[in-house]
Amino acid sequence: MTLLPVLSKVVAVDLVVVTVSALVLVGPERLRETAAELPDRLRDVAVPLVVLAVVLLVNSLIREPVTEVAWLVGVNVTPIIYGIEGDFVAWFQSLGTPAVTTLFSYAYVYGYVYVLVFPLVAYAALEDSRALRELTVAYSVNYALGLVCYVLVVAYGPRNLLGETVESLLYTQHPEFQFLTSRVNSNTNVFPSLHTSLSATVIGVAYDTRETYPWWLAVATVVGLSIIGATMYLGIHWATDVVAGLVLAAIAVTIGRRYANRQ
Amino acid sequence: MTGREAGSAGVSRRSVLATAAAAVGAVSGCAKRTRNVMARDPASQVSLRILTVPVDANPYPARIAQALAANLRACGVDAGVEPTGPEALYRRVLLDHDFDLYVGQFPRTDWRDPDHLYALAHSVYAGEPGWQNPFGYTNLQLDDALETQRTTSGAERKTAVAAVQERLAESQPFTTLAVPDALSAVRTDRFGNWRGSPMDPLTLLGLSPTGEATTLRLGTTDGRITGNRNPITAEFRTRGTFVDLLYDSLGRRVDGVLRPWLAADWRISERDGQLQALLSLREDLTWHDGEPLTADDVAFTYEFLADTSLGAAESPIPASRYRGRTSLVADVSVVDETTVRVAFADSSPVVAERAFTVPLLPEHVWAEQTETARVAGVETNRTMTEALAWNNPQPVGSGPLQFERAVPSESLRLSRFDDHFLRDDPEDLPERLTGAPAYEELRLSAVGSDDAAVELVAAGDADATVAPVGAAVVPRIGRESALDLVSRPSRAFYHLGFNTRTAPLSNTRFRRIVARLFARSRIVESVFDGYAQPAETPLVGTGWEVPERTLDDVGPGDTFVGEGGELDTEAARAAFVEAGYRYDDGDLLSE
Repeated sequence: MTLLPVLSKVVAVDLVVVTVSALVLVGPERLRETAAELPDRLRDVAVPLVVLAVVLLVNSLIREPVTEVAWLVGVNVTPIIYGIEGDFVAWFQSLGTPAVTTLFSYAYVYGYVYVLVFPLVAYAALEDSRALRELTVAYSVNYALGLVCYVLVVAYGPRNLLGETVESLLYTQHPEFQFLTSRVNSNTNVFPSLHTSLSATVIGVAYDTRETYPWWLAVATVVGLSIIGATMYLGIHWATDVVAGLVLAAIAVTIGRRYANRQ
Repeated sequence: MTGREAGSAGVSRRSVLATAAAAVGAVSGCAKRTRNVMARDPASQVSLRILTVPVDANPYPARIAQALAANLRACGVDAGVEPTGPEALYRRVLLDHDFDLYVGQFPRTDWRDPDHLYALAHSVYAGEPGWQNPFGYTNLQLDDALETQRTTSGAERKTAVAAVQERLAESQPFTTLAVPDALSAVRTDRFGNWRGSPMDPLTLLGLSPTGEATTLRLGTTDGRITGNRNPITAEFRTRGTFVDLLYDSLGRRVDGVLRPWLAADWRISERDGQLQALLSLREDLTWHDGEPLTADDVAFTYEFLADTSLGAAESPIPASRYRGRTSLVADVSVVDETTVRVAFADSSPVVAERAFTVPLLPEHVWAEQTETARVAGVETNRTMTEALAWNNPQPVGSGPLQFERAVPSESLRLSRFDDHFLRDDPEDLPERLTGAPAYEELRLSAVGSDDAAVELVAAGDADATVAPVGAAVVPRIGRESALDLVSRPSRAFYHLGFNTRTAPLSNTRFRRIVARLFARSRIVESVFDGYAQPAETPLVGTGWEVPERTLDDVGPGDTFVGEGGELDTEAARAAFVEAGYRYDDGDLLSE
């Protein structure tokens, strides 16, 4: 009931942005060809797509139990992370303005959905299925390894430890977004930052396809870096989570590339 | 952070020295001297973790803990704050006693009588799980005073209660910080008559719809009730608002006075030097599943709360809640179908009556939960019964509301129990409660933070928030014309709890210095934004409190080491040295 308005808004906005991007970056002609050949192309990537679907399904089914298990077997590293990086996030947030907050909030919610969904469309429109295979495998690796980390590591983000100096900007400015985010993640799952790792993954694969979609590399880089900045600026993630997210992205893209080039 | 770095540098230098000493010793043949040096464990830096719930669950404690941790680090302690989910935190502090310090709130309780301190601080509970002396603190003088206040009345009891507070102030098993105002966002367009805090079950029962509304909708940041509805487990309950709506007790406090509730009345008398009560139940009481509620259930409840194994375990396995109150009851015997005779342990009538506020449990449900706990059929813990492990998914109580359904972490739905005695318009209760509740359904939504909870009410999807919200959302509530701020003084006092079982927190002198590292008034002003009262004793504002200067005479009091909120590092370190502690390279060393 509370979820529906914000969910439909995100779906509507991202549908428009993805459609416009597809028309501009992929082009109407290529899209028409794709529509005709889509069944064949999907058959090419059937295995990684099914794997991704399974990973996502398992992820959503065991999210709650994983949080429970993490409290039993996981290590609470929040004080260690704070000991390493100190008040970096508080400092970063202190540079902000209301306009920056709005920009980062939209990047975090709308931008994130966009960078994840658009490349699936763009790569499905290519005759060569390598990019789509690379991307789907890399996505699966991100979610799978992320889940393992969330079992082993319990950590709260800066907004949950440093009430004095770090404001929970996303939720104080847009409390309705929390109805959405609390359904897809637990507030103890901050290490590593999946927003960071998936955005970086998309940038990595966009680099591999830069000759086909040079402008997408530019767009993905700008939006992706905004999302990564937003995770910290909004007080949701530590800089340490972001570094870990980048490492995870590097692993995911490497595995994705190997898989795509092997076939 | 600096403390930790300095600490590791110190350790490595010590080990280098030790290795060098060993080498020199071996070469020169001074083996004996080498052994003298090597055989002694080098003292290491004091390392303390402070547990709190995350800001999402409660915005205050993490900030208090951060302020303390910073001052501890300035004193050379390797200190850090560990945010922990409410359930996990209570499990560590109350059940496993696996913690150094925590900043938290004492749960809402039958606070009007100071006897609630009995279970919180008496030595006999030092080893028990639950809100029973989680500090593991033992002090015979304190025990003495706690026992005396139970059995005396008038001026004599007043003196004993003062002694309790003085012993607590002196020895600091926990440091009282503040009594907060419980804040809620409420909208009055669908329901009126918000007399008290929405966290109070009787407030919720007494609401009256302004129009056609038949569903009361509430929002909370504490979603534990959506997954666990066990009334006797400490780790899942704080205020117990919903458990108190599902489960009735023999008596309830109505407008501050303990009155018969499920009981029609009771008479307390003394026979052969023992205090006892003859208590009769109201007529035709039933459980939510239709079974009759009888005197047998009353006798069962008190026996079961005192030992959830009902005598099967080698030693009793009590419920982790209500211990103070059940310890007041020596024996309950069934006289007839609706009458029981309660024999009390050594206590005065005023204190003894507190025993009537525990929830009644149906024998036909809970008698099946007395086996020791098993996981996948394997006995895993012989000191825990199924009753304490059970999530009680379909609670069967006798309260004014009955369980319908729940989605874990999301929502809870209760419906009116039409066979409840309130529906028969009892004449001995205030008018607002006759026929209560005036709605058919209660829906609770669990959300992620104070902001989301207020948003729920602002958007018209809830009528009130039922976990206290922080002062930070007060301006927001003020801006929304549809929202009212309800602020009621709460007795759920904030405190710093010490695990006194291990060094250095076992040392009273150490705890007394830690208590002085708080700029109490300043913290209350800045963290609670004025929505709290600084407190040195948990009984502040109850009429039982002793003057602060008396507490300052015996204990650390409100004597912050520093000025204007700034710690005087030199003086604080000097205080540790004076208490017998040593420093090495700026690190405070453990004994």
